[in-house]
Amino acid sequence: MAEMIVDKPKLLWQLQFEGAWPMAVAFLDSGRRLVAGNQDGRLLMWDLPEQPPAIEPPKGKADRLAPSAPPSRMLTGHTNGVTRLVAAPGGKWIVSASLDRTVRLWDINAEPVGDAEVIVDIETRQEEAKRSRKDDSLKQPGIAVKTLASAHIFTGHQDWIEALGINDDGQRVISGDNSSNVYVWDLAARKEVTHWKGRRWNWIVATALSPDGQTALVSEYRYKRDDFDIPSSGLKLWNVADSTEKLDLMKVQFPKYMPDDTSYGAAQVWRKFVANGLVAADISPDGKLLALGQGGETDKGQVHLLDASTGALVRSISGHQYGVTDIRFSQDGKFMLSTGRDTSLRITQVEDGKEVAQLGSPRGGQFKDWLSSLAISPDQKMVAATDIAGFVHVWSLVGSEM
Amino acid sequence: MSERLRNSVCVPAEHLSRRTLLKGTLGTAAGGVVMNWGGLTDTAAYAETAKKQQKHCILLWMNGGASQFETFDMKVGRPTGGLFRPINTNLPGVEVCELMPKIAQQMDKLAVIRSMRTSEVDHPGGIYLMHTGYRPSANVRFPEVGSIVAKYQGREGSDLPNFIKVSSQGDAGAGFLGPKYHPFAIGSEGGLPPFSTSGMKPEDETRRHELRSFVEDRYLKDRNSETARMHRESYEAARRLQSARQAFDISGEWEKNRELYGDSEFGRRCLLARKLVESGVAFIEVGQSSYDSHADNFGWHKGLVPPMEHAWAGLLVDLQQRGLLDKTLVIWAGEIGRTPKINNRAGRDHYVRCWSTALAGCGIKGGIVYGSSDQDGVEVKDNPVTEGDFFATIYQALSIDPKQENLAGVRPVPLAPFGSKVVSDLLT
Repeated sequence: MAEMIVDKPKLLWQLQFEGAWPMAVAFLDSGRRLVAGNQDGRLLMWDLPEQPPAIEPPKGKADRLAPSAPPSRMLTGHTNGVTRLVAAPGGKWIVSASLDRTVRLWDINAEPVGDAEVIVDIETRQEEAKRSRKDDSLKQPGIAVKTLASAHIFTGHQDWIEALGINDDGQRVISGDNSSNVYVWDLAARKEVTHWKGRRWNWIVATALSPDGQTALVSEYRYKRDDFDIPSSGLKLWNVADSTEKLDLMKVQFPKYMPDDTSYGAAQVWRKFVANGLVAADISPDGKLLALGQGGETDKGQVHLLDASTGALVRSISGHQYGVTDIRFSQDGKFMLSTGRDTSLRITQVEDGKEVAQLGSPRGGQFKDWLSSLAISPDQKMVAATDIAGFVHVWSLVGSEM
Repeated sequence: MSERLRNSVCVPAEHLSRRTLLKGTLGTAAGGVVMNWGGLTDTAAYAETAKKQQKHCILLWMNGGASQFETFDMKVGRPTGGLFRPINTNLPGVEVCELMPKIAQQMDKLAVIRSMRTSEVDHPGGIYLMHTGYRPSANVRFPEVGSIVAKYQGREGSDLPNFIKVSSQGDAGAGFLGPKYHPFAIGSEGGLPPFSTSGMKPEDETRRHELRSFVEDRYLKDRNSETARMHRESYEAARRLQSARQAFDISGEWEKNRELYGDSEFGRRCLLARKLVESGVAFIEVGQSSYDSHADNFGWHKGLVPPMEHAWAGLLVDLQQRGLLDKTLVIWAGEIGRTPKINNRAGRDHYVRCWSTALAGCGIKGGIVYGSSDQDGVEVKDNPVTEGDFFATIYQALSIDPKQENLAGVRPVPLAPFGSKVVSDLLT
């Protein structure tokens, strides 16, 4: 198990991925190979050089602080936004979830199936065209890349898939959709292990598998149907083996929880804890802690740490202004990393809830741009975060070594 | 006061006093502020004629402003398009948002307007505008469409109010039409307000009523008090409402209609609206809240639109099956549309330069998509429809002359603003 060391993190790359918002990112076998997906359903892969070049002078976007690099592959197939990405250990397999209602498995080492031209700086070009009043920049060619097709498409979901998780050995993947369906997939056999349904009307907004793949953490939420018709949020641990409920975490938190009552009053019981949905979830590498992040546009995006055996609240951490978008434990379980709607990636000590680093800086007006997802490299030395402004940021956590 | 005398008292809007006549005449001589004098003088008679048609109207009010991009005017593949995908409808070549599969199968009943261009971009002004057809004014209290329909299509002396709001917005009320046409508002779950119910035994209630009538009669004996008359009318209406309370109770019908309307509060409200139409109510407004999606527009619409469209489609089917759709106009509208641009909160802000509404039922030619927007939904491309045109069309569909005038003080005010055009392409 690699240890995470946080010592003067340094921004190495700002990979351009302009156009639709980048929403998901995953490292492959090292901190130099990663894949990111956006709301158009585009998936790009980068093979980064060992050392970034000296920083280019700011060009176009004033928030450009580190160099970009061209993508090396485009993964084609999704027809609507990519929402989550997970990578299996070994760096060969990656799994994507999408609003197009499919989960796709990709073999990164597979033979390319074609060629494509990718424009990753469309907004910069448009700004340049507007500034110069010439459209030369828009006519410039894009980047030539090879395309990859998915190795397998897992079907069954009938609605947007916004939740995805993978267990430690990468054998099992869990996905959840907006029709409250949860599926567990066997990656090697490429088939469904089991599926179940959550509460009627709810959307599965976050999920995670325990390291052994036997327990699933599932967070359910739905935006209201009316001010007086608010389905109850759900949060449960499930036994994957028989698709049975293991622990209702909402009932542990709130004895007065009334899951069948959709009234305004019933929603007030859980509203403060859930905010606008617990949209980010992870289980610690030892399986003992659950992390859940409040999403949506909320005043303080809290992260709740719960005891996995009892469901008791261990600690709530308030770091992010507005909602949390993604959460990951470090492999050694010492740190919890989170991204949020305040353009920041925060690193917090699990032991005491102390924030040890904040990467990124708030950008935007009254409401900030989001860092929409994060990934930790297998060696625990790099972190990446997608930025809705059209970047994938890559930091070295040990900038002191650079 | 005798019954005959009481009935002869007019509310100000209907009353043409000597002073008013004089002022009106002077105004005309000075340059002509009165454009349709005939409309003024025959308004009461006109209302009586219109009422005989017994037409109804249901306004489905999307409070906060539903997005045209996430309902009827998708821009897939454009930067303004958003995350949803279109689906086919029962109109060849016409697509709507995937959030509306039930309405997609009722498009042959709908006249969708994709070219609304209105003049109030914020909520209070927009709510007023899209309830009255007029911008807020310090000088004139314009009546809501519900009050107008209540006046021209309502039943005199009905046990039920002629204008009922179920969990909806709009505070213009009856305006210069007077309290007789003010909306009767009930709560989100169809419950009657406390003042309209009584915990007393019927015999005690009767005794109390007799005592109140006695006191009122004594008071009115030597007075001609409009306020006292309205007070008495209100109590009479409340008493009549007591005997018609079952019209608000949908419990006996809900189970067999749950699937048709969808299991939601909005579905229950729509079923109640149909029941009230059957009971003779002229205008029912049914509200759904929370479309003001400055943040997380797609999540909000994914939450709100499915129960709404299910109920809406169920309502249209139910009205048609009962033979009521031909005489019931169903309006779908909010106060504003939403911006083409998606902001950094994944939201859409207020927008009124180009947005969508829909009509169905009474007087409306179904299966129409009227007007269009440009490729990004920024501007109306053809056939713009203003708020005035919208209301003129609504009144015309209900066989109410949109040029008909009422007096606001001494000022004659047409039902739809001067210059409004009826969109005749939408009408049967």
